[in-house]
Amino acid sequence: MLATVPSSTLSGVEGRSVSVEVHVADGLPSFTIVGLPDASCREARDRVRAAIVSTELDWPQRRITVNLAPGDVPKIGAGLDLPIALGLLCASGQLPESSLDDLGAFGELGLDGTIRSVPGALPMVDAVKALRVVVPAADARVTSLIAGSRVRPVRHLRDVTSVLSEGWPWPEVHLDLTPDPVLPVPDLCDVKGQATARTALEIAAAGGHHLLLVGPPGAGKTMLARRLGGLLPDLGRVEALEVTRVHSAAGLPLPPSGLVTRPPFRAPHHSSSMAALVGGGTGRARPGEISAASGGVLFLDELGEFAPSVLDALRQPLEEGVVRVARSGGTHEQPARVILVAAMNPCPCGAGGDIGCRCPPSARVRYSRRVSGPLLDRLDLMIHVDRPAPAALLDRAPGECSAAVAERVMSVRMRSQQRGVRCNADLDDSQLDEHASLDDEARELVAGALAAGRLSARGLRRVRCVARTIRDLDDGEAGLRLGDVATALGMRARPPMGGDRG
Amino acid sequence: MADGPVLDGARLTVLAQLESMSIRRLGRLLRHHGVSEAFDRVIDGRVGAEVADEAIRRSWTEAARHVDLSVVRDQLEELEVRVTSWHDEGHPSVLTTDIDPAPVLFRIGEVPPLHLPRVAVVGTRRCSGAGLETAHELGRELAAAGVVVVSGLAIGVDGAAHEGALEAGAAPPIAVVGSGPDVVYPRRHRGLWRRIGEMGCLCTEAPLGAEPAAWRFPARNRLIAALADLVVVVESRVAGGSLLTVEQAIRRGVDVMAVPGSVRNPAADGANQLLVDGCAPARSADDVLLALGLSTVDRVVRRAGGDPLPTGEAAAVLAAIDDGPTAIDEIVARCGLSARAVFAQVEILLGRGHIVADGARVRRS
Repeated sequence: MLATVPSSTLSGVEGRSVSVEVHVADGLPSFTIVGLPDASCREARDRVRAAIVSTELDWPQRRITVNLAPGDVPKIGAGLDLPIALGLLCASGQLPESSLDDLGAFGELGLDGTIRSVPGALPMVDAVKALRVVVPAADARVTSLIAGSRVRPVRHLRDVTSVLSEGWPWPEVHLDLTPDPVLPVPDLCDVKGQATARTALEIAAAGGHHLLLVGPPGAGKTMLARRLGGLLPDLGRVEALEVTRVHSAAGLPLPPSGLVTRPPFRAPHHSSSMAALVGGGTGRARPGEISAASGGVLFLDELGEFAPSVLDALRQPLEEGVVRVARSGGTHEQPARVILVAAMNPCPCGAGGDIGCRCPPSARVRYSRRVSGPLLDRLDLMIHVDRPAPAALLDRAPGECSAAVAERVMSVRMRSQQRGVRCNADLDDSQLDEHASLDDEARELVAGALAAGRLSARGLRRVRCVARTIRDLDDGEAGLRLGDVATALGMRARPPMGGDRG
Repeated sequence: MADGPVLDGARLTVLAQLESMSIRRLGRLLRHHGVSEAFDRVIDGRVGAEVADEAIRRSWTEAARHVDLSVVRDQLEELEVRVTSWHDEGHPSVLTTDIDPAPVLFRIGEVPPLHLPRVAVVGTRRCSGAGLETAHELGRELAAAGVVVVSGLAIGVDGAAHEGALEAGAAPPIAVVGSGPDVVYPRRHRGLWRRIGEMGCLCTEAPLGAEPAAWRFPARNRLIAALADLVVVVESRVAGGSLLTVEQAIRRGVDVMAVPGSVRNPAADGANQLLVDGCAPARSADDVLLALGLSTVDRVVRRAGGDPLPTGEAAAVLAAIDDGPTAIDEIVARCGLSARAVFAQVEILLGRGHIVADGARVRRS
């Protein structure tokens, strides 16, 4: 007897359709799984056997072959337990032959027959080629975001068999529809002084520009960076689904509603490997931190302590907004549209060549070389954060709060959307020519910077994007004035001084 | 011999390369004899007992006999290294007439005309960022005013001064190094080494292949002092090597100036002590030019005749900037404009030369 159950597996952040074929034949009792199962998928045999026996169904003492088609796609994780079990029950005659028509499934089985949640439920449900899809009850909300009425959430293997063999209705799974609680985020009003850093944060949030904060330890770089998330507007529906898809695939915790609506904030440690940051890993292409932060903020604290090769791997994703991870099974494209916020000390001791700096020039040169010029060229804003003056620190009046800044950020984002982009950092050359023309004075200033070698061609484009954001924060009129461009140029990161000197 | 003068460079190189050949012994060897005569005496074992011990002289004879002079000559030609002794016309006269003259000099590039004023800019290798900037600026402005900058091409102050002098593209700098002309030390200055050879003059008493041995550096410092009309110490620690240069300068009656440093900067202690001891302070290239008796009028006029004074927001921002380094946050707090406006005005003022960047801060120019 043969039974086929449509299912899917995870490949990068995408689901891949898988057809589970179960064949039960006479012969010596055995159980074989073929079709590139990974270790956890191969272990399905033991979980399926225990779950079937615990559900008081019969384990056929016959020759069982499970084929996972197509044969060239690696199958990952325990999500294929449930379709294997259903196929086996049907092929051994314990479920009516017609009961599996147009029914797909995925889910991990417990030894007692309970059905457990699997990472990547959202992209996986999309890939199952069936009119009805049995999913773990825990994944009910997230899967119904896109699959809606196709989803049949269940808690136990017995629930499925009683529906299919005895004609019971699908069990009701109570969905908790209360809106997600608003999680407290750090507010800008806690920041004392730091006028320039506040402005830079506002510009970065409004235009989606990358930001580098340089300053001595204890000046408040990390504190400032952590407040950027609170300035960003909620994610749009399409973007929220994309972010949820990645978080689901990465196995990150999802909010109760299933949909991630707030921009993510990810702060990987500086010991992170290249695979952890941009994605990859052996076999399956796991989404990296830059993909997990897509739509939000990727915060790299202590930028100078990251391995230079890891940092340079960020260059292409920052430019294009996607990461391409090549694996033997093909190239996986994962979203990487982040605002990169980096923080670093000016030198190993932190004083940055000022009086009291304990670093010899060679150490300062070495430290500044850890961040490559090409990466710096991609950072649109660079701000020096000094320790705030004592008067500002002891001032009890709170600074401007995040909500007021977020309102201005929102209005700039609306203007960007009217131009057809998500944020000003995404403006391309033709859009810049239309919306970011330079007046004569501004042109002269830019020409000077280009001639002095301070600005690359990419740099010029980025300066115009940032200047556009600055003008939008002001009044949103067309065209850029000298002041807008000068601010953008003044805030731009410069390659480290005197690489060869000293 | 007919090929005498052509092979003299090779002979000098071989003599300087001999084991245990100090500068003092080489001087004694060349005191009474020309190069080829001295070389022949080494080969024939006729070197006087006043030059070195019996055993050393014998080892010299042994070593010199086995050298093929044409190979050494080709090597010199390939590296474009010129060699002169104090008997030669081409030897810099200041080194011949010095109280401790250099018997032999290996160099890459032309010695700048001796009528140009020469200023040595020296200092510690472990200097602060401000020290680097000062040395770079001094090097650049002195060279632009037609002064030959002399220094030791070391890490820190020396290298920065050379870097600045090359940037000016005016008077050619002189670098006096402590290793052979083909042994780049410090390695980090490979590029600088090459550019000085092309645009100025790189010279040393050490022969081809000589490692940067510690004993060569005090001798190198003596040459720097001998070449200079004036020595400027940018940053020096209390017992720094640059103070040896100062000592040599004082022996020769060469004036010494010191750049004042912060009292909290240990790298400037030596320079500050020089000020206490009565050296003139060098606050800028102008001070040095005045001490040399050169006019600074051109520079003053050029600065005053620049852009008109700023008005409006730019004036308010300029007023909030000190003569010392001022942080942008401080300017924002002082002038009451938004941070965005301050950034714009600072950038514009920088472009027009009213202020200059000092690391992350700015100050008036």
